Amino acid sequence: MPQLTPLYRLLTPLLQTLRSPPTLRSFSTTSSLSAGPPKKKVNVDPRITLIRYHLQHPKTPRPLKLSRLRGLRHWTIHRAWMLMRRKREEKESAELYRMYQSMSKANELLRTMDPPGMKDAGRLYRIAQEKKGIFGHGGVPIEYARWQTDTPGREPWNHGWTR
Amino acid sequence: MALRELSSSLIRQAAKSSRALPSCIGRATSRFASTEATPPQKSPVEGITKTSTTPQGAKAISFNDFDDLADLESESSFAKPLNLSSSKISEYDPVKRAQGRKRQLPASRYQYRPPRYYRGPLHPHQPPPPSDPSSREYVPGPFSHTRLEHTYQSMIASDLMTMTYVHTPPGTIKTPKADRLRTWDDSSPYMKGRPKRGPRGPGEVLRLVEKDITWQNIPKIERVTVHSMIKGATDDSAYLHVAGLLLQSVTGVRPVVHRARHSVAQFGIRQSMPIALTCEMRGDIAYEFVDKVINLVLPKIKDWPGVAGSTGDSAGNLSFGFDREGVILFPEVEVNYDMYPPKMIPGFHVTVHTSATSDRHARLLLGAFGLPFYGKLVD
Repeated sequence: MPQLTPLYRLLTPLLQTLRSPPTLRSFSTTSSLSAGPPKKKVNVDPRITLIRYHLQHPKTPRPLKLSRLRGLRHWTIHRAWMLMRRKREEKESAELYRMYQSMSKANELLRTMDPPGMKDAGRLYRIAQEKKGIFGHGGVPIEYARWQTDTPGREPWNHGWTR
Repeated sequence: MALRELSSSLIRQAAKSSRALPSCIGRATSRFASTEATPPQKSPVEGITKTSTTPQGAKAISFNDFDDLADLESESSFAKPLNLSSSKISEYDPVKRAQGRKRQLPASRYQYRPPRYYRGPLHPHQPPPPSDPSSREYVPGPFSHTRLEHTYQSMIASDLMTMTYVHTPPGTIKTPKADRLRTWDDSSPYMKGRPKRGPRGPGEVLRLVEKDITWQNIPKIERVTVHSMIKGATDDSAYLHVAGLLLQSVTGVRPVVHRARHSVAQFGIRQSMPIALTCEMRGDIAYEFVDKVINLVLPKIKDWPGVAGSTGDSAGNLSFGFDREGVILFPEVEVNYDMYPPKMIPGFHVTVHTSATSDRHARLLLGAFGLPFYGKLVD
């Protein structure tokens, strides 16, 4: 029953403004005869009317106009922000590069550790290169897909949990 | 939050101590008004503990804090009379100066009006860049660092790189692969200078080649597309309008209306009839949307098995869908569910476009975000 919801009651005056104005009744009490067959009255849900009204709202407001000094201030802050963001991104990619380099070095060490001809030469290297099951189900276990939070949970890790 | 806690603790402290008002003021000034670094034995934290324990300490601390107040001038600077000479005062006539000026001063505002429409790169009247507040595309912000992006930067990116690391020993010679595009045999002048041909066969396209993940091409979310085909829009445009407002509220992006390209008699679709809506999200909005879907909506769906493992277009773009019951669970729909006529609420498809070059890499990324997959995994 949509008529009873509080939102509907709140919006009723607005909806009434949207509806067509009430037809004026003639002074005569005899029923007026209209030409042609009686027209079927279409009752549109007022919520749909409201949605259409809001979809007609202009998309963008007028562009801002800043004075010269305010514009300059804005420009300076924007440049500073871009610079900061760029520095942060460079730092992140440098960190990834460092990790990649050290992984590469470690793998190279494993590969060249054993003298050639030795039994099980390069076994550790082969094990390190294994990608068993990472592209299957649970490649990243769902319980490890935990996002960072501002504060730790009340119970940081449930040690007794089993699948 | 922290501020509220701070103020509430201050109120509690003030209520406890016998000399309520002065000590309270003293603490406030020691926190906010003093610019100098206080010596360690006079630190504000110690001051609070001392005041709560011994009244003697309270006296000493509040005395020190009033020393800070002593730096302030006792008199207002407005109260002092200005000692200007009478000749200077009589010389000051702004109206005369303005009239005597030869040229008009430039306007204080930057009198530039950005064009309403972009008329192409060769038009002399070009709009300003979107970062400029006078641009019509200007969006203020960003105002936050999304949680998902933060997690991705600090954890997921390095994890994915480590998991999928493939070692290439130094000195490895790369053998050039055979050309994937077909060449012309130059038997006719028609073939001169033409681009190479694509693969043979109807509907055949050149597929992406999966590349090993290095520090430069770790998969990440590029954009998210929400798509909905509104079946009822063939008869009544109200379905389209309701779906449009719902998608706009859920995604935060104005939906784009698509018209039918062909007539399909079985569906009752005629050509160029508005039939579908899409929203494309990029950047922070896309991250926020994925966050919302994974953490708020999907856990509430009853008996949800996960995303089908066979999803994906073999280029790293994965899709999943929400039916009507799923859409109702979005927080933006939940808060004013009454606004939409219930039978007009649509379902929609979500496509996550990642920078991965294969489905399995994309699945690894979304799996690391916490999206479960079920069934046979197809690449």
